[in-house]
Amino acid sequence: MIEKATILSAADLDRVIKRISHEIVERNRGCDNLVVIGLQKRGVPLGKRIAANLESFEDRKIYFGKLDVSFYRDDYASKIKVDIEKTEIDFDVTDKNVILVDDVLFTGRTIRAALDAIMDLGRPKSIQLVVLIDRGHRELPVKADYVGKNLPTSRNEKVAVRLTETDSEDIVILVESKEDVK
Amino acid sequence: MYEKIFIKNANILDGKKVKPFKADLYIKDGIIEDIKDSIVIESKNITKIDAEGRTIIPGMVDIHVHLRDPGFEEKETIESGAESALAGGITTLICMPNTIPVLDSSALMKYVLDKGKGTGVNIYPAGAMTKGLGGKEITELGLLSEAGAVCYTDDGKAVADARLMFEIMRYSTQFGKPLMLHEEVYSFSKSGLGHEGKYSTSLGLEGISRFSDDLMIGRDIDLAKAAGARIHITHLSTMGAVDMIRKAKKEGLHISCDVTAHHLFFDDSCLESFNTNFKVKPPIRGAKDRQALIEGVKDGTIDAVISDHAPHQDTDKNTTFKLAEFGTIGLETLFAGSYTALCRQCKVEPGKLVKLLASGPAALMGLDTGTIEKGKRADLTLIDLDSYYEVKAGSIVSKSKNSAFIGQKLYGKIIYTISNGKIMYEGV
Amino acid sequence: MLSKKSILNICDLSTEEVLQVMETADSFTGISKREIKKVPTLRGKTVVNLFFELSTRTRTSFEVAAKRLSADMINFVASSSSLAKGESIMDTVRTILAMQVDLLVVRHSDSGAVKMVDDQIEIPVINAGDGKHQHPTQALLDLYAIRGRFGSFKGLKVAITGDFLNSRVARSDMALFKEMGMDVFLVAPSMLLPEDYSGLKVYSDLEDVLKDVDILYLLRMQFERQDKKFYPSVEEYNRFLSLNRERLKKMKKGSVVMHPGPVNRGIEISDEIMGKGKSPYENVLIEHQVTSGVAIRMALLYHILG
Repeated sequence: MIEKATILSAADLDRVIKRISHEIVERNRGCDNLVVIGLQKRGVPLGKRIAANLESFEDRKIYFGKLDVSFYRDDYASKIKVDIEKTEIDFDVTDKNVILVDDVLFTGRTIRAALDAIMDLGRPKSIQLVVLIDRGHRELPVKADYVGKNLPTSRNEKVAVRLTETDSEDIVILVESKEDVK
Repeated sequence: MYEKIFIKNANILDGKKVKPFKADLYIKDGIIEDIKDSIVIESKNITKIDAEGRTIIPGMVDIHVHLRDPGFEEKETIESGAESALAGGITTLICMPNTIPVLDSSALMKYVLDKGKGTGVNIYPAGAMTKGLGGKEITELGLLSEAGAVCYTDDGKAVADARLMFEIMRYSTQFGKPLMLHEEVYSFSKSGLGHEGKYSTSLGLEGISRFSDDLMIGRDIDLAKAAGARIHITHLSTMGAVDMIRKAKKEGLHISCDVTAHHLFFDDSCLESFNTNFKVKPPIRGAKDRQALIEGVKDGTIDAVISDHAPHQDTDKNTTFKLAEFGTIGLETLFAGSYTALCRQCKVEPGKLVKLLASGPAALMGLDTGTIEKGKRADLTLIDLDSYYEVKAGSIVSKSKNSAFIGQKLYGKIIYTISNGKIMYEGV
Repeated sequence: MLSKKSILNICDLSTEEVLQVMETADSFTGISKREIKKVPTLRGKTVVNLFFELSTRTRTSFEVAAKRLSADMINFVASSSSLAKGESIMDTVRTILAMQVDLLVVRHSDSGAVKMVDDQIEIPVINAGDGKHQHPTQALLDLYAIRGRFGSFKGLKVAITGDFLNSRVARSDMALFKEMGMDVFLVAPSMLLPEDYSGLKVYSDLEDVLKDVDILYLLRMQFERQDKKFYPSVEEYNRFLSLNRERLKKMKKGSVVMHPGPVNRGIEISDEIMGKGKSPYENVLIEHQVTSGVAIRMALLYHILG
């Protein structure tokens, strides 16, 4: 894998997350009935940061949950063996505005699986999608409500998101990759 | 085929000497005309065989074969069994009486002898010891003998009634034919599927304890001593059996015994595959038992090697281990199986094995064959001892294909089988 | 994914695979607790229960597992006697295969029968019990239940009690427990022991092990099924091999009681301990074993077909 460019530095990342958190509050006119669900794997630390921001902005507890969609994937989504992570959602999603958080939006299949998974947990009032990077190449009609950065890419490039919680640094880089990857 | 055959440069194991010797052979009109270092023949209408690098042994004598005829002709017939025998280098065999109807009358002795004529194999019947193999009433041992039975046996079954066994033993001494005894104690073997040991345990298969063989052999040795009978214990499987017979021989009892090629080749680890061709009676036992059988061959306790050829159709074998019939075919692998196990793996001299496969069993049963001698009937088998080949189901000659040796690589391909001076089998 | 697609013998799974299957089962345990107990993972796949031996528990457990993964499940139940010879068994299998199914779960009363089927077909086979030979999914769910209670395995003392000779559960359990580092021993009388039991320590009286054991694993005793009927009576069994309240009290704190089910009340375990439906004693793990069964079977189906 060859590193091609830095898309977001640590400082950039911080600003983007703050900006998105404010957008969420603005669009939802506060945080009533709001819950945050982070998609495994990196959607979780991202989601946690956003939830923490919302809590400090609005001075109230925001429920946070982790979602693993391994059992909802379609085969075409990814040929890479993905480890099954934990799903921990100990609140009810029914009638809630769910803020679904993922790091990279690509074909849209993971989000489609996440929607199915959330629907099996209850009947949310709405689901709004937050992504750090939208890299294009959608195969399904999925659109993010909040985007950190739009980044046109080619198929043999990969967007590598690294977060201190999982990878000991905060950075988003673009790499050249041999395989057709997510 | 011409009635004159000239074989040159043969390496001969004649069934009498243990060491091989090189010679030429001339066969005419079914008899071995001459065996000499170098024979010169004015060739006219003669079949010449160059046996350079190959070994000639007497046509083998398999004294325990199930031909299934009459009654189970779909499994094998006297004719198809003979073809299978010739493919295995066997020119004389004794067939077992557990047919339908059971070979327990003179008429059936004649049936076997008649059908055997012209097959190229000298086929002799064994007469049943009890009527219908019922284990209750003794058969006409005298009339059976006169009609052609060469020995008596209830093989497939044991005679559980000790008193009856004793009476059969005593009566048999009048006719001079040996009793071939199948030893099994039913209370130990009932519903058993394989040797009771480590493998039967881990595989969840009902075990057949060695008591099944040993208790019965012990009983019959005691009875034979008292009756003065000439007994032959067939298909040994346990180390206990070898010990008992060794001891009985030392004490002067007129007893002999045999072992199958598959009991010499395999041990109970073969059960792991659940391959039903390894489901046999008596069961193939543990590694130590196998060692004891090989020792018994080496020290002369064991007098013959047999096939216990037991044909079964696919429907009877391609099923669960529990439901499958007992038995493996063995005519075609009798030599290769025993040669590979004894001579190649355990350094037994080939000449010794030849005695166990030809002259030994012939002598036990009073048959004038099993040796290569000037003036004797030309029953010979030409073998390539160094040829190494895999036993394939597709190459089996017998009507039934249930061979325990399928997939095994063996030494000792049969090249020619000559019976009564005629080439009856040519190996590919 | 599993390296070998069919599971005929508990030894077909490596230690890593066993641990992986149990971790996956954790996720499925979570799913079985929520309202919608389904995930779409195996949608479009067809699993067939091919049971030549009667069993409601195992068969239903596989059925629930398959359905919770959104797979289609077909139940084919036949008595072994009506399909006696091999030709018929394979005829049945081939007929089912012609319907383009994806996996067979097979149970048969003869040891080696499931391997016989697996040897002749292309799709994966899970052994749901063959004769006295193996019952790998039972061993896995037993281990999972133990993990749920103890967390780790090394050094746990397990007493496998009862009819070891005729038990496929015992064979699979013994192999797996030993593999995971547990200290396994047997409690059985001479006629219920096989010729060779791999050098394990054997006791003949349950009283001798109660104080030390962490897991008391009781096997089913079937008096009717003994071909040779060598065990004398239920009373004798009660004295030397049964669990009753007095004996349960003697067991150490934290220890558990397990049984593959169905329990013969009054034979292996007293009526009192079994309670009405669910045992009132918290160290009786039997119901957990059943719950574990569905999660483990879901995990296996997922790993083979997912």
